[in-house]
Amino acid sequence: MKTLKEMLAEARQVVPEQGPAELKKRIDAGEPLVLIDVRDPDEYRDGFIEPATNISRGFLEFRIGAAAADPTTPIVLYCQSGLRSMLASKVLKDLGYQNVTNLQGGFQKWAQSGLPVAKDRPMNAEQIQRYSRHFLLPQVGEKGQRKLLRSKVLLIGAGGLGSPTAVYLAAAGVGTIGLMDGDVVDVSNLQRQILHTTASVGRPKVDSGTETIRALNPDVNVIPLPMRIDVDNVMDIIKDYDLVVDGSDNFDTRYLVNDACYLAGKTNVHGSIFQFEGMATVLAPNQGPCYRCLYPTPPPPGLVPS
Amino acid sequence: MVQATETVKLLLGIGEPLIGRLLTYDALGMRFREVKLRRDPKCPLCGEHPSITDLSIHRGGAEACAVSDNGHAAPAAAPAATPRG
Repeated sequence: MKTLKEMLAEARQVVPEQGPAELKKRIDAGEPLVLIDVRDPDEYRDGFIEPATNISRGFLEFRIGAAAADPTTPIVLYCQSGLRSMLASKVLKDLGYQNVTNLQGGFQKWAQSGLPVAKDRPMNAEQIQRYSRHFLLPQVGEKGQRKLLRSKVLLIGAGGLGSPTAVYLAAAGVGTIGLMDGDVVDVSNLQRQILHTTASVGRPKVDSGTETIRALNPDVNVIPLPMRIDVDNVMDIIKDYDLVVDGSDNFDTRYLVNDACYLAGKTNVHGSIFQFEGMATVLAPNQGPCYRCLYPTPPPPGLVPS
Repeated sequence: MVQATETVKLLLGIGEPLIGRLLTYDALGMRFREVKLRRDPKCPLCGEHPSITDLSIHRGGAEACAVSDNGHAAPAAAPAATPRG
């Protein structure tokens, strides 16, 4: 009969291990790896490593096919301390998965290294109904919805572009929305800026926007930022968000947001609109061009209306 | 709508985001057009030899966002239209 020690030693012969720092690097680099938390669901709920899927050890052989169809997919497994997942990794190897790594020291070592830990609160009955149509989409599902609820998005501008974006993101259940705008609602805004109402004319746009969002979806934590973005506040503000949506209406702000997002490593969902024409692109640092690659210099003042 | 959809996709890590592509929309003609975008190796911010390494360019005068001429016109990939406010 084999002892546990022997089984672990055998598994270590065929399963490579990686520490938390190395795993973090791979996740940040956007490597398409499948991260699996093999602990029990209650352990997972108490805290896990984003973007892990929870498949408890006992169900691994049954459910791995749905998580990783291709045997060459890079897979990383972890448990609490790295032992259960070592044995589980060996099973995946035996099943024919070629690129399986075990997280050395498990979740415990990850958390102790001060790396970010995600946590899910169980959804209440109303949330389950509210997002039921998302659950039907295989690409979203309950897991995707939880991810949206944990996400933090900064909207720069609560005007023509920011309004519909804010409404859709709030409806979809993006958990934290920073709403930034220094203007007050003018009656001439109302024909397009659907975040505001006639009753809010004269009030700060972020106040009126906060009310609209809260009325639409109480799950959303709105952070009103009643100011213009500028060189002194931009870095401090964007650091708290996963992603920035630029709905600003002038070139100075666009270049500033572009530069700050690039330097801070934040993806910038860019949009602009004029009369009947609009354009949109995603500026993802080091994955694609930045705004300056597109427009090295701003147009001379006066040439373009803003 | 496009910005909101792209945001949700990026947050969820699903689909194909508009990275390296510019989507233009002409409401009167009701036409969508897509322009491929490339990174500019001479870009003063994200190029091989960046001259912008902090936000100091944004301090000071009205031309704060204008970088000194880096010796080339808009890249070939840039669309004919100018982005407007």
